[in-house]
Amino acid sequence: MKILNIYRSEPDETVQKLVEIVTRDRESEDFDLAVDSPDYDGLVDKIFEADQTICWW
Amino acid sequence: MAKSLGIFVTTTDCLQHVIGITKAAKAKGSNVKVFFTWKATHLSKDPQFAGLCELADDVSICVDSYAKQGYDIEDVPEGLTAKKMATQAQHGIMIEDFDCYLSL
Amino acid sequence: MEYKKVCLMYRHEDYAVDGIRSALGLAVENMYSYGVVIDKELPLLDDLTKESIEMLRDMEGDVFTTVQADVEKNDFTPITIEELGEKLREMTHIIPYGAK
Repeated sequence: MKILNIYRSEPDETVQKLVEIVTRDRESEDFDLAVDSPDYDGLVDKIFEADQTICWW
Repeated sequence: MAKSLGIFVTTTDCLQHVIGITKAAKAKGSNVKVFFTWKATHLSKDPQFAGLCELADDVSICVDSYAKQGYDIEDVPEGLTAKKMATQAQHGIMIEDFDCYLSL
Repeated sequence: MEYKKVCLMYRHEDYAVDGIRSALGLAVENMYSYGVVIDKELPLLDDLTKESIEMLRDMEGDVFTTVQADVEKNDFTPITIEELGEKLREMTHIIPYGAK
């Protein structure tokens, strides 16, 4: 199970806690969407590679 | 064959992301479906919305949300047809039938 | 056939009621569907939303909250962040819904 966590803002304590539990003993990757020019091409590759994508607030 | 991608849009500040991701996914040969609900239906009035409709394979909005946000359902946004003024069943389709799923 | 399991999470009161409606929409499509209000007390729900929650529960879904006041006021099911995290591990789709 490979999880991609996308962040639309700096993850707060609640999000950090949920990510920690959800990704426990699982492969995971992060993507920061809160930048000026996101690498959409790279993001789509990651989405296609992941079993599950979660786009946090 | 590229994987298919469903994008469920619930926020109002993400149209650039929807367009950027759709463009990148289409360039890889993906089938992309986008569904806008609740406050995100305001994005159907953005000047860039019609362009997204051309880019993606399927774009629809929740007609009930659109009405609740104060729009006349006869006022079909540019890029859509009356048939694309749809229900939450569109969300179910992307979860059930698409390889990859993204909420924004 | 394996049924999809979907959890929608709400952190903003302007999105929670519609998000509950979205959860119901997925339950109607034959999925296990759950809504969770996180750290936000909601006003007293209208009858239509209460009815949606009842329908969702009839279809083996539920609406949870991390806020005790909404357990009493709106009859949500209580959940802690830790319990929510464990529940999310079972989900096929996790949806942080709307604005924060």
